[in-house]
Amino acid sequence: MKFVNKYKKIAVFVGVLALTACAHEDQPTESQLDYNQPAKTDLDKWIDANYLVPYNINAQYKWNQNTVDNTRYLFPPTIDKVQPALEIVKQIWLQSYATIGGADFVKKIAPREIVLVGGVNSNSNGTRTLGIAEGGQRITLFEVDNINKKNRAIVAEFIHTIQHEYVHILNQTKPFDEQAWGKITPSGYTATWHLETTAASRELGFITSYARSNVVEDFAETASIILISTKAEYAAILAGITSAKARADIQRKEAIVVQYFKDAFNMDFYALRDEAEKNTTYVINN
Amino acid sequence: MKIKNIFKYVVVALLIVQLTACTSTEVEQKFDKTPTERLNAQKSELQEVLLTSPDGWKAVYFTDDKQLGGFTHLFKFTPDGKVEMASDFDATTTSKFTSEYDIQLGSTVSLVFTTKNRIHLLSDSSPQSNPTPALLGKGYLGDFQFLYYGQENGQLIFKANRTAGDGTSKEIRFVKATAQDWTDLPKNIDMIANVVGANTRPLFRLFETNDGTTTHQYDFTFATRSRFATANSIEAGSTATNNMGIAYTPTGIVVSPAVEVGGQKLTDFVYNSTDGSFTATGTNGVSASIKYSAKPLVLTDDYKNLVVGKPQMVFGYIAANLYTAPTNSSYFKTLVDKVNATLPANQSIARVQIVFNNVPNGTYIQYQFNGGKAQIVHWLTTTEDAVNKTIILNDDGWNTTAANYAFLKDIDNELTNSKGLYVKKETFRITFSNTIYTFTSAASNFRMTTYQL
Repeated sequence: MKFVNKYKKIAVFVGVLALTACAHEDQPTESQLDYNQPAKTDLDKWIDANYLVPYNINAQYKWNQNTVDNTRYLFPPTIDKVQPALEIVKQIWLQSYATIGGADFVKKIAPREIVLVGGVNSNSNGTRTLGIAEGGQRITLFEVDNINKKNRAIVAEFIHTIQHEYVHILNQTKPFDEQAWGKITPSGYTATWHLETTAASRELGFITSYARSNVVEDFAETASIILISTKAEYAAILAGITSAKARADIQRKEAIVVQYFKDAFNMDFYALRDEAEKNTTYVINN
Repeated sequence: MKIKNIFKYVVVALLIVQLTACTSTEVEQKFDKTPTERLNAQKSELQEVLLTSPDGWKAVYFTDDKQLGGFTHLFKFTPDGKVEMASDFDATTTSKFTSEYDIQLGSTVSLVFTTKNRIHLLSDSSPQSNPTPALLGKGYLGDFQFLYYGQENGQLIFKANRTAGDGTSKEIRFVKATAQDWTDLPKNIDMIANVVGANTRPLFRLFETNDGTTTHQYDFTFATRSRFATANSIEAGSTATNNMGIAYTPTGIVVSPAVEVGGQKLTDFVYNSTDGSFTATGTNGVSASIKYSAKPLVLTDDYKNLVVGKPQMVFGYIAANLYTAPTNSSYFKTLVDKVNATLPANQSIARVQIVFNNVPNGTYIQYQFNGGKAQIVHWLTTTEDAVNKTIILNDDGWNTTAANYAFLKDIDNELTNSKGLYVKKETFRITFSNTIYTFTSAASNFRMTTYQL
């Protein structure tokens, strides 16, 4: 046992050496990274008060190459257009959903980031992309520089984009029955939808030509067109369709949309439509 | 071996490992600061230097000098992240406009114009904004995030983020601006008309280089929207070109890529308002210029088919189809308008037809009218000017009285001028498959476009 004791001592010595050997190394100093908050403009404070704090959504208007497609020729919005655009989004989209879906609805299921782009996003086939929804997390809205709150057509197109993209976000959160949907008008989908007229597409059971690009877009278009139309306007769209089958097909799609909102989110889709309409009128008149 | 010895060796081995493990963590330092420190230093350097110039900075931005010209931008940065900007994009952009900028740290330090201002007009992809059909959906290929490459002679060197990775990517240099630069910016817009060319100048334009001993000539075509000029050698057998992007200055133009003459690179051309030329001057007699010529750059022999003894040929200017022909000179159109103004409202020139070598009537011009007015004929003889390659139309009487054709005198005088007409068989067609011929006065800016009938 004697030698064990001896080596016990040595082992302690070695242990001390091991634990202290590198103690002379420099301790980390203050970070090299600049973690100062950038100075906030009045606009930044407005965004904090109206988006970040109540909804936990970051509205980004300053150029950040990581949130846009650098192969496209885009540019950030004119600063004076940012708040009007965000006011429209807040009034017509966020508040409509908050009223009908419950105050916390959009806090739970919302994009965490809204990116505003001033310019047009042109596609090689001559069409323009008005909005993009990515991974249920981010919505990018284009052509913000064209916003004019007094022009109902422009507001309607802008809102159409938001409603359309938000339906994608909802779908990316809770999927709808794509198979059932695809069986309604299986033959009408086409990659060259941009060459079709709206009237012709409606006669085939699609609410818009873009709806013909695929099932997911069809769902988003059907839902968003109903949301941006008044009850009477939507009825007029249906009444304008000659083909009884096409009209019935659109109504079958409408029924799936209504059921989806009920089942997935316990929301009355028509009440949502009426609320959005009320808020749209409010935006244009104020 | 005793267990004691094994233990000894193990302890010794352990001690060696312990005592040597931390001996050297140092690697050879290529720089005296860490990468983060260097990036931060570069960032603050850029932030500070942008604020140092009292009247801000000037940059002539050529986005792609293989197909587009340059746009002059003036920037005045302030410490609160704002930038005042003006550009010569068009007449509405020369006034100051304020937006935001940021110095961003990514793979390298970059200057980013984070909200919209003049420079973003070069990135507008809307369908009506494309400068050429090939750039549909791409605008002027512009960028507004500029990677910082340091300083040279007080100039800031950047590369566009979008193209910095390309081997051919060009530098964008910010030079210190003066108060004069800001007040003179609208003069860049005034210079556009001089590059486009004026109706009052001679009809032909060329680009000429002189290396001190020999000159080379190129044709010269300028596209206003893309600010790009094409210049192809007119010398037989030569495929040399001198295409260039053009940016305007208050006194002339700057071109990119530089024109190389006699081993020298010429970029700055000065406008001469007397003759409408732009000239860049190097040393030892080297120069390059864009200038006007009263004579076609290449004289054709097409007139030879019209001389006495050749078979009949008929050429007709038909107002309905050819009034808008781009090859008509504005002087010609002015004369046509003048004639029409003298006629009653329901009458106008329908055709100006030149018939060469008709049997038995010879050569003559027929003026034909809409609205029931009878045609007027000017009988002619022809002479060939083989040196200047023109055909001269000589008066040989009219089919009516002098009082009746007096209103045609101005236009007729041009066709029958004593120096004659250059005749050119063109390669393009207008509306119909008929061959197009142009008749250009050797004495004035008169050029008429006709169908061969």
